[in-house]
Parts: sequence; C-alpha cells; structure tokens
Amino acid sequence: MAPFPITGRFVGDFVPVLVAVDTDDTWDQIARKVAAHSVGRRVPKPEVSPGYDVLVDGTVMTSDATLGELLGTRTIPPLQWVDVRFREQVGSNG
Amino acid sequence: MLLNRDDWYDISRDLDWELSYVDPAVAFPTSWSGAGDVPKDAWDKWDEPFRVSYRDYVRIQREKESGVKAVSSALVRSGTYEKLDPAHVAASHLHMGTTCMVEHMAVTMQSRFCRFAPTPRWRNLGVFGMLDETRHAQLDLRFSHDLLKQDPRFDWSQKAFHTKEWGVLAVKNFFDDAMLNADCVEAALATSLTVEHGFTNVQFVALAADAMAAGDINWSNLLSSIQTDEARHAQQGFPTLSILMEHDPARAQKALDVAFWRSTRLFQTLTGPAMDYYTPLDQRKMSFKEFMLEWIVNHHERILEDYGLKKPWYWDQFLYSLENGHHAMHLGTWFWRPTLFWKPNAGVSKDERDWLREKYPTWEENWGVMWDEIIKNVNDDRIEDTLPDTLPALCNLTQLPLGSAFSRHDLADHSMTYKGRLYHFDSEISKWCFEQDPERYAGHQNFIDRFIDGQILPADLAGGLLYMGLTPDVMGDDVYDYAWAKDYLPSKPAPAEESVEREPISI
Repeated sequence: MAPFPITGRFVGDFVPVLVAVDTDDTWDQIARKVAAHSVGRRVPKPEVSPGYDVLVDGTVMTSDATLGELLGTRTIPPLQWVDVRFREQVGSNG
Repeated sequence: MLLNRDDWYDISRDLDWELSYVDPAVAFPTSWSGAGDVPKDAWDKWDEPFRVSYRDYVRIQREKESGVKAVSSALVRSGTYEKLDPAHVAASHLHMGTTCMVEHMAVTMQSRFCRFAPTPRWRNLGVFGMLDETRHAQLDLRFSHDLLKQDPRFDWSQKAFHTKEWGVLAVKNFFDDAMLNADCVEAALATSLTVEHGFTNVQFVALAADAMAAGDINWSNLLSSIQTDEARHAQQGFPTLSILMEHDPARAQKALDVAFWRSTRLFQTLTGPAMDYYTPLDQRKMSFKEFMLEWIVNHHERILEDYGLKKPWYWDQFLYSLENGHHAMHLGTWFWRPTLFWKPNAGVSKDERDWLREKYPTWEENWGVMWDEIIKNVNDDRIEDTLPDTLPALCNLTQLPLGSAFSRHDLADHSMTYKGRLYHFDSEISKWCFEQDPERYAGHQNFIDRFIDGQILPADLAGGLLYMGLTPDVMGDDVYDYAWAKDYLPSKPAPAEESVEREPISI
C-alpha cells in the first residue's frame, strides 16, 4: 500500500491531470479518481453511467485488478500516462 | 564644422585589434560567442542594417521619453484607469507580471553581445540594446508603480519573477533558454530574430491596438513606444543570420525551428487569451489567429525565406495550432484561475461566442462543449465544480499543460524516457525540441515534478498556491463574477394576460 502519482487523462477532456492513487487501488477505483476531475466539470455526465475502462499503453485493464499487481509485472514510472474513458457499449443487433 | 555621421561611422565601429597577450579563444570563448566553426574573417561581413551614434540615440530617445512621460502623467491624473473595462485591465496585469522582468533579462543578453559577440560592430550595437531594454524595464515599472494604488496586482510587475507562479515559471524558462543560456549567435536567432522581430508584434502592436480601442491610451502608448526600440534592435538578428546561412545553414534552421515553436506556445498563452477573450468584444480589432497569419506567416516567415530558410518541418501543425492552442490555454487558465495573479474574463457570453464561432469554425466542437458544462455548473450554483481539485499535467519543455497546443481530440501521450526519467511533452514538436539537445533541458523540474518530489508543502492545492506566492488580494477569479452565465438561463415565460371577470352591466 503506497501512494502513486499518475498522469490521468479522461477521454474527451482537453488536459490530463495529476492524480494521486494508491498501489492497492483497483483499476475501477483509479478510473473514478481520474473521472472525478473531468466528468461533470468539462465532460458531460451521462444520465446513466456506463462505467469506465482504463487503458495503460493502449491495453484495457481488468477492473478489479490492482495497480500493484501490474507493478509486479513491469516497470511503471511515476506520472505514467493512464487513459480513462466511458466503457464502450457493445452494440446489440435486433 | 561637425562631420556628418556617415563620414566617421565606419571608423568608429571597427574597434578590433589583434590580441597579442591573450589567446583569442580565451578572450572570446565560442561557448559564449557562438562563433562555432564560422571562420573569423567571415564576421568582417557582419553589417548592421541601422546606423546610430550615441549622440543620435540620446537625442531620439529623449524625445520619445518626453512624449511617453507627458501622456502617462496626464492620463494617470485624469481618472481614465477607473473607467477601463476590468476584463481589458487584466491583460495589463498579465503583461506587466510576465514581461517587465524579461526586459530586464534582455539587458543581460545585450550586455553579452557587448562583451562576447564575434564582431566589434555587433558589440557596439549591444550598447544601444542594453539602453533600450533598461528603458523598457523602467517604463514598465514606472507605469505599474503609478497604478499600485489602483490594484496590488501591479506589484507583480517586479514581484512576479521572484515567485514560482506556474505561468511565470514558463516564461522564465523560455527566456532563460533563449536569452541567458544561449550563446550570442543563438540568442540573436532565438530572441532578436524570432521573438523580437516576429512575435512581440502580437503583444506590442496587435494587443496595443486593442488597448487603444478599449480606451487604455496610457498602456497602448507605452507598448507602441517600446516597440519602436524593438523594431530597431531586433534587426541585429539579420546580419547574424546572413553569415550563418553562408557557413552553417543547418544550425540556423534548427535554432529557428526550436525558437519559433517555443515562441508560438508562449504567445498563445500570453496574447491569445488577451486578444480573443479579455478585450471587450466591440473593441477587438482582429482575432489572434488573423494577426498571427498576417504578421508571423505573411510577413515574418516571408522575410526568413528571403534568407534561404525553409519553413519549419512542423508548419502544418503550427497552422493547426493557431486554431486551437490559445483556446486551450484560455480554458485552462480560466478553470485554474486561483493560480493566476490576474482576473480572467470567461469570454463566452452568447455574443462573444458568436464571434468565436465566426473566427474559429471548429470552436464549438472543440471548446464549446466543455464551456457548456461549465455554464451549467455556474447556473446550477455549483461553482466548486468549475474550480480545480488538482494540477494539470505539464510539459517538460514548455512548462505548459499537456495537450494545450491542439484540441481535445488530438490529446495524446508524447513522452520519452531519458536516462531513466520519464519526460512528458505537450506535443510531438516540443518533444522534438527536447531531443535536439536533451542535456540542456533534462535537469529541470517542472511544477509537477517538484510537487511529487515533495518540494510543495502541504502537497495539495493550497500548498501549491502558497508555493506560487499567490495571496488573496491578487488571486484570480472570474472578472465579471459569472454575470455572463445569465445569458444561458432559460428565459422566463411572458406573464399570461389576467382574465377579468366582467360584472354584468346593471341598468
């Protein structure tokens, strides 16, 4: 359990921001921390939230996995760029 | 009978001699002169495009000073300041705080020319450059001192560069690099040619015209007078460019390409918001983009092409940035307004928005969407959601927010690891600038680096404001107290006609 600074960008906003997360945070918790600085402030808040996806270097992270687990597999430097977006809905036909 | 200046001028300026007691390389180290591999006798061709004697200089400058002082004295007494639109006045707070000490830095740069420039003719002109820049710093200080009683923000004319306010850090970083960290040759290309000949016109001519329209005759007159000196001493860059183009054109091209982009980013931050958002709508002479196209693209760049330079490799991105960069910087500075020492105008009332849409066809899609969210929060009385809870991520070159050169649709990760440290950049172009000379920039810590390094305590926004030296009497807020947001409130329905029950007429 340790604080970790990331460069959090919410897709649709015009600037990424400094976000203090914790290595024990799940990606879902990290998504909410990043989204809080953009959604409802500069990015319209949807009526019903579809949830969030988190991407690190273009790879979608598993929601309930933690940052700490990723740190165990590769080097993530402080201020790593992390993308958060509204979860993309899978289209249904008919 | 006195000789005409032209009879003795050439003798007076060719003051070199063969050094016999000192190694010339020690007396004029190339790390200071910037002569590099250009042969010594090549500098004999350096020929200044304007001629001035000390006698002429004093006479002309004295006349200018009398004029400026007379206008300033009359206007300070006349109560004109109190009648100025506060949105416009903010532009002068911003200017004084970010520019006055740059004038003072330029005195040092010109003094370097006096001592280390590779030709005595250039060394001679540096004297007049020093006097010019001393004048500019003093004019700014006198202007600001007269107005201290009106607004403590004018104290930032002198104070700003002794603070760590983030915008000031960005300005200082650029001029430390282009003026003081540069050898004479690079300073001539980056500062004299790019900044002074090109970009200062946006602030000192275009914005001065807006200031005049706004009724700010004192400030407008000051800017115009300063620019008459600038247009003269900026010419020092051209003979230097000529010699470089003959002996080391690749070096000239690279130095100019770096300086051009960094200048663009700086003036997008300082002048863009002032012209397109702070100047009252009916007083805007032209948009920031229009002036940049006319002055930088049509005039400045054309002149450089006459010298054999190519347009920078990123030219198309630069043109695209003219549509977006200053809108990003404006939205960012307005949203992060507590971190400013001036009060920004949001500049998005319906009428102002019509103007923005007309001048920038992509404005609604790129910026309007975000302003709509802000407007909703203002009108729903959720001001706290229009204020920041954290810091924006910053570029390790320009010190400006990531993504703020272009639109939100272009925002992407431009980063690199250099000697084990992660560096972020606001664009591919800023990253390229860093890659040209990484050791020049690598040791610097931007505001975010300092934050995570524990230099800013407490490690929160309040700690950040303390670190930046921002006190409640200067801290920024919306200049019109959000009155413009009422434009967007639903209009009340007209009252229905009252139905009157008529009593039957009794006869």
